[in-house]
Amino acid sequence: MDVIYLTKSGVWYSFSAMMKEEIAKAKAEALAKIAEADSVKKLEEARVAILGKKGAFTKVQQGMRDVPPAEKPTVGALLHEARGAVDAALEARLLQLQVMEDEKRVAGIDLTLPAATLPMGGLHPISLVREEAVRILRRMGFSLADGPEIEDEWHCFDALNTPEDHPARNEKDTFYFDSGKLLRTQTSTVQARVMESQAPPVRIICPGSAFRRDAIDATHLSAFNQIEGLYVDREVSVGDLKGTLEYFLKALFGDETAVRFRPHFFPFTEPSFEIDVQLRAAGQAPRWIEIAGCGMVNPAVFENIDSKTGKNLYSGCTGFAFGIGLERLAMIRWGIRDIRLLIENDVRFLAQFH
Amino acid sequence: MNISKNWLDAYINLDGLSSQEMADMLTFAGIEVEGMQERGVHTDLVVVAQVVEKTPVEGSDHLNVCMVDAGEGKLRQIVCGASNYKVGDKVPCALPGAILPGGWEIKEGKMMGHASCGMLCSASELGMPDKEHGLWILPQEYEIGTPVRRFVQTDTLFELEITPNRPDLLSHWGMARELAGITGRTLKSDPAPEDIDTAPAGEDVHLSAPEICPLYTVTRIRGVKIAPSPDWLAQRLIAIGLRPINNVVDITNYCLFELGHPLHAFDAAKVQGALDIRHAEDGEQFLSLMDESYTLRSDDLVISDSSGRVLALGGVMGGKNSGVSEDTTDLILESAWFLPSAVRHTSRRLGLGSDSSYRFERGTSPWNVLRAAARAVQLILECAEGEAEPIGVAGEAPCLVPEKEAPRATVLQQGTRAKVYCALQHVALDWKELDVMTDGTTPHMEAARILKNLGLRETAAGEWDCPPWRLDLKRSCDLLEEVVRVYGIANIPATRTTIYVPESRQDRAHDFRCELSRRLAGAGLCEVQTLKLIAEQSSDPTIAALPYALPIKPLMEGDVIRVALPLSEDHAVLRPSLSPGLLAVAARNLNHGADVLRFFECGRVFRNTGGGKGKDIESESLGILIAGKLAPTSWSQLKQPNAAPQHLRALLELTAPQAVISLVPSRTKREAAALSADVQINGQTCGYFARVAATACRALGLPEDCYYAELDLRKLQQIATAPFKVRELPQFPGSGRDATIVVPQTTKNADVLKVIESAKQKLLVSCNLKEIFSDPTGQKLPADHKALTYSFLYRDATKTLTAADVDAAHAAVLQVITGKLNGASLR
Repeated sequence: MDVIYLTKSGVWYSFSAMMKEEIAKAKAEALAKIAEADSVKKLEEARVAILGKKGAFTKVQQGMRDVPPAEKPTVGALLHEARGAVDAALEARLLQLQVMEDEKRVAGIDLTLPAATLPMGGLHPISLVREEAVRILRRMGFSLADGPEIEDEWHCFDALNTPEDHPARNEKDTFYFDSGKLLRTQTSTVQARVMESQAPPVRIICPGSAFRRDAIDATHLSAFNQIEGLYVDREVSVGDLKGTLEYFLKALFGDETAVRFRPHFFPFTEPSFEIDVQLRAAGQAPRWIEIAGCGMVNPAVFENIDSKTGKNLYSGCTGFAFGIGLERLAMIRWGIRDIRLLIENDVRFLAQFH
Repeated sequence: MNISKNWLDAYINLDGLSSQEMADMLTFAGIEVEGMQERGVHTDLVVVAQVVEKTPVEGSDHLNVCMVDAGEGKLRQIVCGASNYKVGDKVPCALPGAILPGGWEIKEGKMMGHASCGMLCSASELGMPDKEHGLWILPQEYEIGTPVRRFVQTDTLFELEITPNRPDLLSHWGMARELAGITGRTLKSDPAPEDIDTAPAGEDVHLSAPEICPLYTVTRIRGVKIAPSPDWLAQRLIAIGLRPINNVVDITNYCLFELGHPLHAFDAAKVQGALDIRHAEDGEQFLSLMDESYTLRSDDLVISDSSGRVLALGGVMGGKNSGVSEDTTDLILESAWFLPSAVRHTSRRLGLGSDSSYRFERGTSPWNVLRAAARAVQLILECAEGEAEPIGVAGEAPCLVPEKEAPRATVLQQGTRAKVYCALQHVALDWKELDVMTDGTTPHMEAARILKNLGLRETAAGEWDCPPWRLDLKRSCDLLEEVVRVYGIANIPATRTTIYVPESRQDRAHDFRCELSRRLAGAGLCEVQTLKLIAEQSSDPTIAALPYALPIKPLMEGDVIRVALPLSEDHAVLRPSLSPGLLAVAARNLNHGADVLRFFECGRVFRNTGGGKGKDIESESLGILIAGKLAPTSWSQLKQPNAAPQHLRALLELTAPQAVISLVPSRTKREAAALSADVQINGQTCGYFARVAATACRALGLPEDCYYAELDLRKLQQIATAPFKVRELPQFPGSGRDATIVVPQTTKNADVLKVIESAKQKLLVSCNLKEIFSDPTGQKLPADHKALTYSFLYRDATKTLTAADVDAAHAAVLQVITGKLNGASLR
């Protein structure tokens, strides 16, 4: 039952009834305003008009001050319900409007437009194959080694069992300097460099450049990249050589790749082998492709090292060495027909690897 | 080297072995088969046919429509383009369905509107040496319709690559011997006569250079009849690609390809007195039988006579003035041994090679000297008649066995009145070595069998005599190689062993370089790899050239290392900097229409430390070049800024983000730079920074906004990978203030920062340049001044600062700026 009070003006007045009316009115107006707002911006304006410091609904809320304590619970409950409805309506309308505005925004988007441009970068294909080969070999317990590219004859030839009158040693195929030094013709020089500086066991790889006095054409460069490997220890066998290189080449070319070893000749290994991998291309008969050279370290190499250092570190050791050309690897992997593409650095070529 | 299967068949029974099987067998014995050509036809569909009618095709100057009788009961119409035949000739006719060498299948077709049901063939189309141009005219007695393969011997030609350690394989007999060794098949009889009649050469030969030619034999043959070679001999030479000349010359060639030992025949009428095997005189002239003239040196070996004329260049080539001709009746046949290195030296220096020098420089067996001579004499008497004296021997066979082993060596003996002795190499082999090499998987019995098949003889347990033709067998590892090669690596099980290895300095350098490269690639730089040999000068912008070098340290006279004998002037010196390569790459790509030029390279640079007399230094550098637009334009970015110093600087900071990088104007300028600065990282000079000079850009055709920096990778790695500990994050918020300072145009950012630093304001955490404003018109600001706006951040590590605290600190800093910085005012 409503309690009726006499106001100062002498009119009996029911607070409860009056507030109920005002609350209902404010709520209705607020909801109408919310419904009217047809953009997120207008809805925000509506929110300020309703719930801001001077907002219509805020004013009604301020009326609670004058409500006698006895009636506060009733009026308070009413006000709470109304405020809840206004908040809910605001939220619901906001969601609605955001969805509508999103729709408007995306309506104009042409997804078939080309991308904006960023400067594109990437690695050279030789770096890519080098990194991959190095990654596999390091997983197999090889660590990296290095040596100078300007070498002396001893490290490039004599140490590697290629004496002065050897057919492989020819000033026309080698870049010499007036100092008598030369540009190394193979990364195998690093074998000699490492062994003269440390005791066995040795288990190293060396990615690096080598130089031959070849005219540059579609299949030849005068400077090329290789990875050299060397493992020297007690009782290293041909089986170890085979196991190591089979694992390496399968990791590089895929597990299904067949690998074969053909006897060959290199002065610094004996026996020596060339390694072929069998490549399969759709619609073609499988082909054997020569990919690397390897062999058991020639005991003469150990003797040369020991006699140079004066330490008898390598007698009784056995080991294997291998070398693989990175240009060839890249050419096979990506079907590159002309080796010169690898030195011309044409962005139209390089971008294919980005 | 070319090997004919038919020729080989004369020395070893190859029945049941297909050409492919033989190729595989050679491949796995270490003899690379570079090519294999089937000669002749195997099909019945190539038959003898007679041309019955021949009518020219209208509108063609060479085609004829032929009606041919191929023995089928009716005539066949074939269009033919050859011109060397007439009606009535018998020629090979390939019927539809026939497959010719090279896998070429014959089909019925039409040519210029005329049906053509087959093909009339030339010899080369049937894989035979072409005797005449055009169709192969067959003898009239051949019966029409008979398959041609009945008259034509098929053959397989193997093109083999013989490794330099195996000169004993450079002949058909040598190859047969090897096949016998590998397969265990027996050899037919040795073509060289067993009994060799010899006599001392006496005064006929003077060995004046015994260190190069210790053994020289001459055989005088009188009354020979120079004529074409017999068919069988000519056929064998043709099969391996040689052109028959006359019986005597052909026989010397034949013996070379049969036994592997080069011979030479002189016309005795053109030789005066004794032969002198001597060093050439410096400047002496030699006219080869190919009519080329050569100037000799004293380290060349010549065969001369008592007149002093040079008759031949020892082991390399005969002379024009002493060779066998149509009129020759008396011969002097040379068979000798020459020192490999001497022959190689002469042949290389003069650029004069022959089948003979090829064998001598790889090493010939002294044991073969008399064998080849005797074989040639036998063949000459057989094919050219004449009368031969015994082989005259001068000198003795060189001892190729180490001196200390020689007394114990088994010695072979050849000849009658003048003996030639040949010591065999002796090798001790412990099976333990084989067990280590193959993990004990090769049976010793099998290994011994392999060695015996290859001609080795076990003189006592573990003691082996090597055959005289195998000059490469000297040590136990040489024998092990033979065992592994023949036993087959496929039969040796693969094992996997590894050991733990410490990480090396190079491992860390590799990791750093990979990470750095990926980071730069991610920042939109394209990695390139350029040649290390560059030009000293080049007018072609796409050739890297020395004048564009922007090295970390300026170049001094003699610092650049030049190769003695460059292949071309485009690749003559080692790069002292990566910039020539990168600039050439930019120029090349610009030619292809690229307008964004952003490249980097990691690689070695080279220089001499002491003006050409010091040590050669190699170091690893990183070079970065940016030129032209910063990024490609597109429909959404119509304009892109041009490369500017701050962009290159940003890339430098990317290489060591935690370090303090400063660019300090360089005291020494490089030719190709308009602006030179040293790159200091944490106070250490690590590199060089340049704006490429406009003159260089114009010469290279590059846009003028072209910036280059080069860093020393090793120093960079040291700094960028130095260990560090993280800083504590601040506990209290900081408070920012901006200030705009007007300074003269010449004032540098670093000048301002230095003054701010000198204020030693404890609360000041950082100070960053936010904006630069200048007004060339002088309206908003005097034209010779600029306004620098900085953001200052203040913070106290122990409490939240009040606005008053911050204002006080900021005012103190500003006061220092206006007080200490020349010409500065606040705005």
